[in-house]
Amino acid sequence: MTASATPADQPGVSALGNTRGPIADRVAAGIFLLPGVVWLVVLFLLPLGIMAVISLGAVDPGGHVTLTSPSLDNYGQAFRPEYLPAFIRSLYYAGAATVLSLAIGYPVAYWISRHGGRRKILLLILVMLPFWTSWLIRTYAWMIILRDNGIVNSLLVDTGVIDDPIPILNTDFAVILGMTYGFLPYAILPLFVSIDRLDESLVQAGRDLYASGRGAFLHVTLPLTMPGIVAAALLTFIPALGDFVTPDLLGGTDTTTIAKLIQVIFTSGRDWPYGSALGFLLMAVTIAGTLLALRSLRREVIG
Amino acid sequence: MTERNLPGISFTEALEQRLDQANWSRREFLARVAAFGAATALSQLLIACGQGGASPTAPPATPAATTTAVATPTAAPTPVPTPEKELFVYNWDGYIGEKTVEQFHDKYGITVKYDLFPDEATQITTLKKDGKGGGYDVSYPASTWMPDFTQNGIVRQLDHSLIPNLKNLSAAWQNPGYDPNNQYSVPNYWWTTGFAWDPRKINKDLTSWDALWDSAYDNHMSMLDDMRECFGAAAFRLHLSPNTKDTGELDQILTMLEQQKPLLRLYTQDDISDLTSGTVWLTHAWSGDWVQMTYDKPKTKYVIPAEGAVKGNDVMVVLSGAPHPIAAHLWIDFNLDADVSAANTNYIGYMGPNDAALPKIEGYIKDDPRLNPPPEVLAELIELEYLPQPDLDQYTNRWTALRA
Repeated sequence: MTASATPADQPGVSALGNTRGPIADRVAAGIFLLPGVVWLVVLFLLPLGIMAVISLGAVDPGGHVTLTSPSLDNYGQAFRPEYLPAFIRSLYYAGAATVLSLAIGYPVAYWISRHGGRRKILLLILVMLPFWTSWLIRTYAWMIILRDNGIVNSLLVDTGVIDDPIPILNTDFAVILGMTYGFLPYAILPLFVSIDRLDESLVQAGRDLYASGRGAFLHVTLPLTMPGIVAAALLTFIPALGDFVTPDLLGGTDTTTIAKLIQVIFTSGRDWPYGSALGFLLMAVTIAGTLLALRSLRREVIG
Repeated sequence: MTERNLPGISFTEALEQRLDQANWSRREFLARVAAFGAATALSQLLIACGQGGASPTAPPATPAATTTAVATPTAAPTPVPTPEKELFVYNWDGYIGEKTVEQFHDKYGITVKYDLFPDEATQITTLKKDGKGGGYDVSYPASTWMPDFTQNGIVRQLDHSLIPNLKNLSAAWQNPGYDPNNQYSVPNYWWTTGFAWDPRKINKDLTSWDALWDSAYDNHMSMLDDMRECFGAAAFRLHLSPNTKDTGELDQILTMLEQQKPLLRLYTQDDISDLTSGTVWLTHAWSGDWVQMTYDKPKTKYVIPAEGAVKGNDVMVVLSGAPHPIAAHLWIDFNLDADVSAANTNYIGYMGPNDAALPKIEGYIKDDPRLNPPPEVLAELIELEYLPQPDLDQYTNRWTALRA
């Protein structure tokens, strides 16, 4: 999102830089960058590299990963028609959770920003409050709420809306609900930041030029908060695509995601090379999607 | 054993009960959460890559020279080598008696750091990640892993002179096939895999695996989310071996599982609470889990199906990279003590192979043929064998196709 920096910013940057020599400046920058770089290299790039190497290997009959004849066989095997339903389902769950998170998150973020007043910080803390409890426990809580003798079904039966409990747990609905619930705070926070940063006078200018409330929102607010929307969508979609715990706990027999298949291959199947290859392909899909989203954002902001 | 009535209570009470039911102390709970935290796709890969610090459940690397620690003044009659002051145990949740750790500490002055894993896959991945046990001293793998673990140097040969209580093992367990003469492992619990049901929903004496394929219970059944156990159940129904390597037979098993899938509510991670909460009426289950179901629903039934079933046992091992090997041997010896072993079994409901403990085991466990089958039934049950990779791939390919 640095793409939005305009040339007008440049003199300001160099003016700051001129207070010290360029070398000292670079050293200082290096020191500040070091922890982040070390973190990325040790905990992200290095494991990723090892995974890349493993994905070229094979498993010998004794269960060891061998790299004697590296090949791309694992990638060739990845495209199995049997896996297609799980892959489509993953996209469907992640997409549904993203759309719902945006649909719920945008009004919430908007309201906190515009009407939160002095309680803004408190409201944001409330949004983040669920993080204080483990995600696993919160998912178990949903199981208690949704199951056949759970709170929702008991309420519906007691009030006579239904005669017998309806299965809510172990359905697509429960999985999408669980994911939306889990990832909603990740959507609200970037949305809040971009809405809060929006200069209210721009909206006022729109209204002064006879835009309706709806028109001003569609033509001023929405485009200017698009970076927040894209960030929120990415922060929801990417983790949702790799999620297998929610489908495991809230899902049923027909809610297997591609991430669950990868987990099965790694564990029950003891086949790390093949699992790594599938993991890489999933990551490639995710990165491609991210780049596409960022590109469309750049076009949106510049154009 | 009080009957719990979940729908009538508040949400927080229900949650507390759920946690309580699982016997999570705060520490165990944190360990369990950490274990699940690792269960995102990326962390799985981090663990897979065996990088230090990637697994939140692993204990911190410890200096190897702990054997130089000063002997504790309170030390009970200790064997010749001085035991270390700590012990890292890696086990299932709620798998030993409630006071076992405390009593061990009282007797030897050794502090036990007790970490939990949520499923076998996590356990095996952690124990194998550095090829020598992931920094733990003692763990409890299924016996089927023993050929693999000994071959790959994950476990350490036991010093039987430090485990005098081995004499308590019954004769049948002195020389098991997976580990002759218990050189590397000591049998811990054994169990069967059958199915359990709620007689209020299904008022029948079910005896056959056919029940789990019965469309009368459509959407009210679950199978264990366990590849080998599911293949085993279908294999018994087809009168095949649960260890078959024949692709034609595996295809038949897959077809059988495909027929079953539309009738199931889920492949369960938690057979105990799925049955006790009423989510399902009938579930594929381990015998010890059934005992725990009866804590909430005393009338729950269980059967070892007539077509045959899987029997299994787990073992205590000392890992090859154990930082505290002497304490680890003491732990194994302690758990073979008649009183400790009986307390463990009385708590969890799984029978142990300990003859000396037998008089102290509760009658409802040892006299129940479903938990302690007579020898002639036991002889018919089959253990899951460790499968070489190409054969295992045959299973995995079919299982992933089924589940996708």
